[in-house]
Amino acid sequence: MLGLLRRAYAVFKAYFVSEFIRSRGFIYGLMSMALWITMFSAPVIMFTGSDVNVNEVATRIFIGIMLFLFFSTASWDWAAEIRWMINEGRIEYYIASGSGFLPHYLGILPISILWLIIALIVNYILLSILWSPPTIRVLNLVLFIYGFALFLMCLMGYALILGGTMISTSAVGFIVEIINFVLPVATGGLFPLKLMPEPLQVFALLTPFSYTAELIRYSMLGIEPVVELNYLIITGSIYTMVFLLIGIGYFKYQLRKVLREGFKSISMW
Amino acid sequence: MSFIDILRAEYRLVYNDVFRRKSVLLTTIMYPYIFTAFTLFIGYSAGSPSVFTQKMGIEPALYMITASYMLMSILTSLDDLLWKPLFDTYTGTIIYILASPVNRFKLYAAIPFPRLTLLVLLGFTSLLPVYIYYFGLGGLLLSLLIMGVVALGCLIMIPFAIFVASSVHRVGESWRILNVVRPLIMIFLGVYYPRIYMPLGAYIISSLIPSSHIVEAAQRLLIGIQSGVYVLFAIAFTLAIIYIPISQFTLSSWERKKVKEGVRTS
Repeated sequence: MLGLLRRAYAVFKAYFVSEFIRSRGFIYGLMSMALWITMFSAPVIMFTGSDVNVNEVATRIFIGIMLFLFFSTASWDWAAEIRWMINEGRIEYYIASGSGFLPHYLGILPISILWLIIALIVNYILLSILWSPPTIRVLNLVLFIYGFALFLMCLMGYALILGGTMISTSAVGFIVEIINFVLPVATGGLFPLKLMPEPLQVFALLTPFSYTAELIRYSMLGIEPVVELNYLIITGSIYTMVFLLIGIGYFKYQLRKVLREGFKSISMW
Repeated sequence: MSFIDILRAEYRLVYNDVFRRKSVLLTTIMYPYIFTAFTLFIGYSAGSPSVFTQKMGIEPALYMITASYMLMSILTSLDDLLWKPLFDTYTGTIIYILASPVNRFKLYAAIPFPRLTLLVLLGFTSLLPVYIYYFGLGGLLLSLLIMGVVALGCLIMIPFAIFVASSVHRVGESWRILNVVRPLIMIFLGVYYPRIYMPLGAYIISSLIPSSHIVEAAQRLLIGIQSGVYVLFAIAFTLAIIYIPISQFTLSSWERKKVKEGVRTS
């Protein structure tokens, strides 16, 4: 246990020094993200009349951005980390060392959380300037915590499947970009399901993400889910756990496969 | 080496890659639709399409697919120029490029052309079906017109893009700065958020980018306002011509810096 924590701390220290102290990448990354979000959310003005409640709009956008950022973290911090490991030739050493991936991910987790918190603050400020300060409220704390725990489990399952696919197919940048864009939109991560067209609602409900996103939105904004609440909680919980187990199984399978076949080279984009 | 020779080499390089990695081609085709869906969803969740139509005089789906096509077109041709020096640095080929007798300005001017022709395909897969759905056969002509105008917008962006690339790559961690500069240029181009809605300061900055005038011209043509379109074209061309000597200067200055200080390939 102590060894695991020591390894995790070494990873955390290395990443913290690299990302926060040595380079300015962190600041540039946040600026870039804020600008893309500005570009895509600015046209909202053209959709709204003078009678619209700007505070409500800002809050909805903020919750959407928050869920989107969690998706991005799972894609770019957790799953894409495998890509960097392969690119930099580190992955073989991780496997050969026998310590597994857990210490590495425990080490980068605080960095991810820190990045998310700062990114959310940046977006909050940005929305306050563009629209109005979003109202952060939790109407049902127990449901919020439960929904968020399920959402994180979902994302872990997703990151494991994406990481496993990277290991086996060498699929990288553009596929992650597409998935990262499409998934939050198509599964109700960005907007309440009831605002989506019916075929998309059906598709979203076929994925575990929609249940957890609806639960979070209900606990924070009080937006009624498209399915009955008890059904949402039970189905969402079972589906999430099954999805996580599939993710773990898939990742382990792909890892065993590359141990036999070797790693494929990964293209730049 | 003549410009045609360089162009031929660039076409071979890009198209071999495009046909080898068909998944990249597929995702390029998908992008305008993804961006359209994304912006429409944000808009619908906060407001209504009827308000948009009232304010802009056009259906939101039509406006957004055109905006997404313009964004992808200009971004794709611009990106090649912005990232090429960096990729050459990573792969170690920048040293050979700097040592070669090829005219650097001609080389960098040729880089966006292969992607530019690829954009015609992008227009046929994104603009054409949507325009035909809304306008019938008249949509075919309109989509061809918009594609032509956007291609022109990409072309006159070349000197400006060389200027930006050669200025940004003078400093360290340039790829990170590029990630800030790219969306900033896209905002000021006014593809999603028209320039008429921008505050004065932003409007002035936007006016310094040649293609922003072409974007406005395309938006006007789409809405059916033809007045002032020729003036916008004239401004865009004048700006592009002004940027030619500026970009030549920044490019040679960047090159001199690389030769003087050496190239870091790690």
